[in-house]
Amino acid sequence: MLTRISHRKLWTSARRVLRPSLCRTSSARLPSPLSHSHTFSSSAFALRSTTYAYFDFNFLHWKRHCFSTQPALELPAGKIVDVPLAQTGEGIAECELLKWHVQEGDYIEDFQPLCEVQSDKATIEITSRYKGKVAHVLHVPGDIVKVGETLLKILVDETAFPSATVGDSEITKSLHSDQVLVNESASAIAALGNSNNAELLDSDLEKRKRAAVLSTPAVRSLAKQHGIDINEVCGTGKDGRVLKEDVLNFAAKKGIIVSVSAVLDADNVEKPRGAEGYTVTPEYKSPSEDRILPLRGYQRAMVKSMSLAAKVPHFHYVDEINCNALVELKTAFQKNNPYPDVKHTFLPILVKSLSMALTKYPALNSCFKEDSMEVILKGSHNIGVAMATPNGLVVPNIKNVQSLSILEITKELARLQQLASENKLTSEDISGGTITLSNIGAIGGKFGSPLLNLPEVSIIAIGRIQKIPQFDGNGNVYPVSLMTVNVGADHRVLDGATVSRFCNEWKQLIENPELLMLHLK
Amino acid sequence: MAPLMNLVRLRGFPILQQLHLEERMLRTSSSNWCIINDGTTSPTVVMGLSGKVPELVEAKSVLRDHIPVIRRFTGGGTVIVDQGTIFVTLICNKDDVSDVQPFPRPIMSWSGQLYDQVFKGLADFHLRENDYVFGDRKFGGNAQSITKHRWVHHTSFLWDYEVKNMSYLKLPAKAPKYRLTRDHTDFVCSMKEYLPRSEFVERTIKAIGAQFSVKSINLESTEIPSSSQFVHTTRLLTEQELLDACTIQT
Repeated sequence: MLTRISHRKLWTSARRVLRPSLCRTSSARLPSPLSHSHTFSSSAFALRSTTYAYFDFNFLHWKRHCFSTQPALELPAGKIVDVPLAQTGEGIAECELLKWHVQEGDYIEDFQPLCEVQSDKATIEITSRYKGKVAHVLHVPGDIVKVGETLLKILVDETAFPSATVGDSEITKSLHSDQVLVNESASAIAALGNSNNAELLDSDLEKRKRAAVLSTPAVRSLAKQHGIDINEVCGTGKDGRVLKEDVLNFAAKKGIIVSVSAVLDADNVEKPRGAEGYTVTPEYKSPSEDRILPLRGYQRAMVKSMSLAAKVPHFHYVDEINCNALVELKTAFQKNNPYPDVKHTFLPILVKSLSMALTKYPALNSCFKEDSMEVILKGSHNIGVAMATPNGLVVPNIKNVQSLSILEITKELARLQQLASENKLTSEDISGGTITLSNIGAIGGKFGSPLLNLPEVSIIAIGRIQKIPQFDGNGNVYPVSLMTVNVGADHRVLDGATVSRFCNEWKQLIENPELLMLHLK
Repeated sequence: MAPLMNLVRLRGFPILQQLHLEERMLRTSSSNWCIINDGTTSPTVVMGLSGKVPELVEAKSVLRDHIPVIRRFTGGGTVIVDQGTIFVTLICNKDDVSDVQPFPRPIMSWSGQLYDQVFKGLADFHLRENDYVFGDRKFGGNAQSITKHRWVHHTSFLWDYEVKNMSYLKLPAKAPKYRLTRDHTDFVCSMKEYLPRSEFVERTIKAIGAQFSVKSINLESTEIPSSSQFVHTTRLLTEQELLDACTIQT
């Protein structure tokens, strides 16, 4: 059903650029069009100039949107025009194609519905600007189409034989989940660029059209890697879709690869798209290729919070704490543990002693209100514990530590850790913190210089407890479990002296935990 | 002269039939319509047009408890509706609401302003991203469909809901930013704590009346678009489709 292309004349229009022959649309490695703006068949779709490009391509409304020309109306008969997905509203960068109301070869009137797309909460009907014949449909239902991407090509007014070749045919597809299918016949249009081979191409196209193969971009890439024409592979997937195994089996039969199973095992397993807050694992193409990681959930929150924290003048106070007594205490808790499901670690003891020190130095458990130049000394010690989860950094806090026992703190910490690893923390869990503890030592490192968790005024990073030799008063060497701490503080409200005194107090409680009993209520 | 708005008031009307009616009104009528359905029948799951069962619904539970699953003709997410849900649908000619561009965001904003009037003085109402919230808790979800000359914006309001019904739905992969990491019970709230059903309905009709000339239409009226010859997009999913989803989910 394709119009025969005359190969007598090369036609170049102001808005079209001839492209070298292309065989594939799926790979991001395709050369990008010489000038992407030329993909838009008319400046009616020059999206940069307007916020709303009208969906209903009603000429009367164009004037409202300051389009400078209406070239589509002035096109000579027989031109194939690209119809891109126009802007559907502010901030909408892409839509999902839901269904086509037309198919290739259909004759359409202007303003006739072409397809339906979905953007977020809305399904939107797209109508045609042109009267003509649907030359090529470039997407299938389920595809995510970026604003500006060509949806289909229409041969405007098929009565006259065109003396022109077709124009830009590059379909730049963005990287997206491998659930998207690409119809091979859509890529056929790309081959029309070279008019010298028009006749050959014509039949080639017909062959391609007949052999229209469904498969994902990743599978197409794999086929290309092995030098296989995907159209020759028999698909065993749904609707005759060509799967990875089909390509590998085909390659094995052709003697291109030795063992199919070896290839399958070597590939990374794609991670499933998780719940909100999970990072989307991008499609894995090859080790040397760039990967785009959209930041979501906790990672996105981290960008925001750290940017704000960077504006605060921090100072860092470093000290070393002898943890011999702490180690002994923890071991004692474990030995005499009447609760088999409770695991004792250092952190709850550190948290409790921190709270005790805060009672004496409440300035470190406060929050600073810059606009009113006020420091609010918080009554509750809601001690946040930074946690590294598969989804990123999150800081839930233990509420009212001043009223909790070490055992209660241990249980609450375990509860929060469990929720964090399952991405089930509530907003209650992560808000209302008054000071933060970052146990980076659990992973490694001597100490870090932490950034404040605003609106708090101090944060404490504790490094790994390391056994090192020290000298006692008599010059004898003895082993000491040493932990380095780094207290980050807001220098607008805390001075070195206050932080130093606070740290000494805390250090004393850790090095001499029996002092905790003195304050037992 | 304010444009005419035909108002159809229903109570306990089955949601599938309501959606069929809405679709016919959108596609075959040239009048403006407002449907208010005060509660539907038994619990039903309603997915958006591109919704995929294995991703959105607990197929096994739904099959076991014979909960119908519908795929509607508008976009958006998944809800479970029952007697505690109040539906308000607005189907308009874009020319009759000429100060509203026929795109998702402007229509959404316009609806937010309408409901601002409804809840004025009663609650801390906001349109937040695509949801209606009191404070930061969602009580109304929206969906739209936009055609050449007309659009539909419909809302399901949680006047009340049963927590156990929420277990038929999976946590959606796509969630609004303001949700943060909140689970369902921390994220939604019910309208019943703010005002009685009848008052909500009356206030809504009054707010619409400020922009349109409202005329009540009976369901039996000849003005209601008939269903003969019309192929609805909204449909009830078959048992086989749910069984297939079960297989994927195990």
